[in-house]
Amino acid sequence: MDGRQIMTADEVRRAIIRISHELVEKQAGTEGLLLVGIQRRGVPLAHRIASAIEENEGVTPPVGALDITFYRDDLSLIAQQPVVKGTQLPVDLNGRTVVLVDDVLYTGRTIRAAMDALVDFGRPRAIRLAVLVDRGHRELPIRADHVGKNVPTSSDEVVKVALVEVDGEDAVRIERVTTPVPTA
Amino acid sequence: MPDLRVGETVGLLEISRAWLVDPVAEREGPGEIVVRDGILEAVTWLSGQAVHGVNPGGILVMPGFLDLHVHLREPGNEDAETVASGLAAAAHGGFTTVCAMPNTTPVADEPGVLAQVAAAAAASGSPVELLAHGAVTVGRAGERLAALGELADAGVVGFSDDGSPIKSAVILRNALLYAGMLGLPIVEHAEDPTLTAGAEASEGLVATILGLKGWPAAAEVSAVERAIAILDSVRADAPGARLHLTHLSVAGALDAVRRAKAAGLPVTCDVTPHHLGFTDEWVAGARRWAWEALDGAGMARDPWADGALVTHPYATACRVNPPLRGAADAAACLASLIDGTADAVVTDHAPHTAVDKETEFGLAVNGISGVETAFGVLLAAVLAGKLPLARAVAALTVGPASVLGARPGRRGATRGLLVGAPADLVVIDAGVGWQVTRDALASRGKNTPLLGRELPGRILFTVALGRLAYRDADA
Amino acid sequence: MSAPGTAITPDVGWRQKHLLDVDVLSLAEIELVMRTTDAMKEVLARPISKVPALRGTNVTILFYEASTRTRVSFEVAAKNLSADVVNIAASSSSVTKGESLVDTIRTVEALGADMIVMRHGTSGAPYLAAEVFSGSILNGGDGWHAHPSQALLDLYTMRAHLGEVRGKKVVILGDVLHSRVARSNVWSLTAAGADLWICGPTTILRGFDAWARRWTGGGAPGHAGFTVTSDVHAALQDADVVMALRLQRERMDAGLLPSLREYAARFGLTRERLAFAKPTALVMHPGPMNEGVEIAADVAILDRSVITEQVTNGVAVRMALLYLLAGGHPEAVTNA
Repeated sequence: MDGRQIMTADEVRRAIIRISHELVEKQAGTEGLLLVGIQRRGVPLAHRIASAIEENEGVTPPVGALDITFYRDDLSLIAQQPVVKGTQLPVDLNGRTVVLVDDVLYTGRTIRAAMDALVDFGRPRAIRLAVLVDRGHRELPIRADHVGKNVPTSSDEVVKVALVEVDGEDAVRIERVTTPVPTA
Repeated sequence: MPDLRVGETVGLLEISRAWLVDPVAEREGPGEIVVRDGILEAVTWLSGQAVHGVNPGGILVMPGFLDLHVHLREPGNEDAETVASGLAAAAHGGFTTVCAMPNTTPVADEPGVLAQVAAAAAASGSPVELLAHGAVTVGRAGERLAALGELADAGVVGFSDDGSPIKSAVILRNALLYAGMLGLPIVEHAEDPTLTAGAEASEGLVATILGLKGWPAAAEVSAVERAIAILDSVRADAPGARLHLTHLSVAGALDAVRRAKAAGLPVTCDVTPHHLGFTDEWVAGARRWAWEALDGAGMARDPWADGALVTHPYATACRVNPPLRGAADAAACLASLIDGTADAVVTDHAPHTAVDKETEFGLAVNGISGVETAFGVLLAAVLAGKLPLARAVAALTVGPASVLGARPGRRGATRGLLVGAPADLVVIDAGVGWQVTRDALASRGKNTPLLGRELPGRILFTVALGRLAYRDADA
Repeated sequence: MSAPGTAITPDVGWRQKHLLDVDVLSLAEIELVMRTTDAMKEVLARPISKVPALRGTNVTILFYEASTRTRVSFEVAAKNLSADVVNIAASSSSVTKGESLVDTIRTVEALGADMIVMRHGTSGAPYLAAEVFSGSILNGGDGWHAHPSQALLDLYTMRAHLGEVRGKKVVILGDVLHSRVARSNVWSLTAAGADLWICGPTTILRGFDAWARRWTGGGAPGHAGFTVTSDVHAALQDADVVMALRLQRERMDAGLLPSLREYAARFGLTRERLAFAKPTALVMHPGPMNEGVEIAADVAILDRSVITEQVTNGVAVRMALLYLLAGGHPEAVTNA
C-alpha cells in the first residue's frame, strides 16, 4: 500500500481505548448500550470497543453488525449492485442507546442510511456515532460523538483503514486518486 | 458496358479470363465468353499460357439457375412478396427461371389464377422466366383432385399441394396416375401431420434444451416411404407417373430415395441450401455452417460447450418446414448432392412480413427467404472443400431441368453454355463477398437468419434468355 | 458453463442485464445470488421486512399464464424492496384482443416500466421481449423452457439443508418433458456438481438422454453426474433430495400416458418409494401439487418435506434477483 501513513497500529489501539472510555462516560455506565458496527470495517471496530469496555468495566455490551447496502441513496448511480454482507442484531434495540461504529466518516451518507435502517428495526432511545477517522467534507448535517482522529483531507484523496481482522494489519493511510471515489 | 440496362437485350457483354462452368458439356476451366445482341456468340476455352492466373476463386461464368420451388405470394399476400419483387429477387440470386408454388390466395388450382400470375410476371417486365406448379387438390384441401388437365393445358410444369402433404394416400395414388397420364410430376411435400402437430424445432438436443416441441425425422421418412410405395404400385398402370420429393431434410428420407432410385423407380428429389448449410444449432443462437458443426468423427458438436452461440436463441428467421436439422442430417443432404441422390437444389423461397415473424417462436410462421442467398451458401460449401463446384452448378441448372423434363413447345434455356443460343447465364465474382442486409435484399421478405452476415460470391450479372435481369451496382 | 460469447473478464460480480435462464450464469454469479438471498432472508425476518433498495423502480409483472403462487411471490418481493409494482394479468388486458407480445412490451415500457417480470406460455418469449425492451427482463417461466428463479430457490433450499450440493444425489421425478422447472434445475444442478438423476416414464423422458450424454465423466455415487432412467427404484436409491414434478395435466399430449392412475401407481412418490432414498432425504415440489398423483399426501407433509420452505425461500430469492438486476450492468452479457 502506498500513500502516507497517518495512524500506526499503536495509535489505532489507543484511539479505540479512548473511545471506549468516552462512551461509558457519556452513558454513565454500560447499561442500555448496543454497539452496532457498519459493514464492513465498522464491525471489527465495534467488537474491539466492546472488548475494551469489558476490560475496564467487566461488562461486555452487545455488538451487532449492520449492512446499509439496501439503504444507500446512490444505488441507481453506481456501476454494479454492491455485494451485501449481512445484518445481525443480537438484541431488540427498542429503548437502547445504539452506538453506530464506522471506520471513516466522510460525507455522512452512510450514517444517514444506517439511521434509516435502524429505525426499521425499532425505536432506539438514542443513536450515537463513533468513528475511527473523521476526514471532513460533510454533505449532510451529521456529526460524530466520538472520533479517533480528525484528519483534514482533499476530495482527490482516499483514507484507507486497515484492520487486522480484515486486512492483516492495523494502520490508517491517505492515498491520492485521479478521480474522486464516491464513498460514505 | 454503357447501355446495359435491366430488362433490355444485352447488346454486348464480354467476359475474359473467367472460370467457365458448363454442366451440359460437363466441362469447366479458364475461358472467355461473348454475348452479342442477346445471343451467346462465342465460348472460348483457354489453354497454354492464357490459363495462368485464372481459377475458380475469381470471376465465374455459368448457366443461369433454375429454381423448382419458390413462393411468390401473389395473389393474396402481396405484403410479403409480389411477382415483381420475387422475380427481382430471383435475378439477384442468379436464377433465370423459377417455378412458383400454388399456395396463393386463391390457390392456383385452376387456370384463371395462373393467368393472373402470368400477367403479373409480364407486367413486371422481368426477363426471368416464371413457370408454375398447379395444385394437386382443390384449394389444397386434400379432398378432390384439382383441374389437373386444364392446368396442364395452361402450361404447369408439375402439381403440388406444397405447404402441406397430400394427406390422403388414395388421393396421392390417383394424382400420380392422372398426372402420369399428363406426363407431369407430382411434387410432394412429405410430412406426416400427426407426428408434427404443434412441432417447432427438429427433435433433438437443441429442441430439448430450448423447451421446443420436437419435429421427428420419422414424420418425413415415413411420408417419403409411403409416397414411394404408392408410386411403385401405380407404375404398371401409368408408366409416365413421376414423383418428385421436395425439400428433403433427413438422412433417412434421402436413403429411401437412394434405394428407390436403385430399384429403378421414377422418383427424384431436391434439398435446400438451408438444410445443407444451417443446423438446428442456429435456433439456439449459433451461426456456423453445418459442416463446421461436425467433429472429426462425424458427430454433431455441442454449441453450448463450444462457445458457438453468437446471437440470441429463438430467432424466428430460423423457423422453417421442414425444420433445420442436426449436423449429421445436413451432411447427408450435402452428400446426396454429391452422389446424385438429390437431383437439384431448390430454395423454397418463403418470404414473410415482419409482422408474421416478429412474434414468439411457437407462434411464428415457417419459412426462410432464400432465393438471393442460395448460391452464396453453396459457394461457402465449395470454398470449404465440402462440395465440388461442378456439382453445385449442376444442382442449380441441369439437375432441376432434368426433373422438369423436356416439354414439347416450351422454349427454355438449355442450362449449358451453348453457342448460338440466347444467352442465359450468371457472372459471379467468387473473390468478393456481400453483406446480407435488409437493403441488399430485393425480396420483400427479409426473414433470413443470414441477416447481418457476409456471404461469399457476389453476383455481377444475370442474363435471362438474352435480356439483362440483374446487374450489380458496381459491375 | 460460462455465458456464451462473453469476453474474458474476471468472474466477479453480477453481469447480467436480464435473467432469462440459469444457463448463462457463472458459478460466481450463482454464489452471489445465494449470498444476497441470505441477506434478504434476514430482511424478511425483521419486524419491518422492507428495505428501500428499489425505491423509485417500476417493476411490471406481466403474466400470460394463470399463476397465483409465483406472481404473488414476485409481487411481495418487489414490494419488500420498495419498488412500485404494476400487475398485468394477461386475461384482463388488451392481450386477449390480439395485441402482440412486442406491442405489449412497448406499451409497458412507455408506461414507465424499468423491469419486467414475465411469464409466458411459449418457450423463448422472454428472449423476444428482451430484444425490444430497454430495461431488464426477469423470466418468471416460459413455456417448457426455463424458470430460473425456481431453480435458484430450489438450489438455495437444498444448500440450506445439505450444505453443499456437490456430489449429492438429487432426483427429479415426474413430467420433465413439459417442465421448465426441470430444465432450469438441470443447468443449475449440473453446474453445482450434483449427481443428478431424471426419472419418469420413457414417453416423458424423450430427448433428455441426449442432454445427459453431454456430461462426461459421471454417474458414480458421490460424484457429479447426469443419469436419465425410467427405473424409479434405481433413481431413488440413496437419494439425498427427491424433487417431484407435477404431472402437467394441461400440457400433456393425448397419448403420452395411459392414465394418471397408472403414473401414480408406477412413479408416484409414496412412503414406500421414498424409503429407497436416504432417511434424511429432502422432499421438494415446486407446486402446485396433485396429491395422490406425483406425490402422496402423507409424503408432502413429512418433516423433511421442505415444500413450504421453498415458498418462503422463493420470496427471498426473488428479492435477491430483483436487487441484482436493478443494478447497473457495466459488461452486460448479451448475445451478438
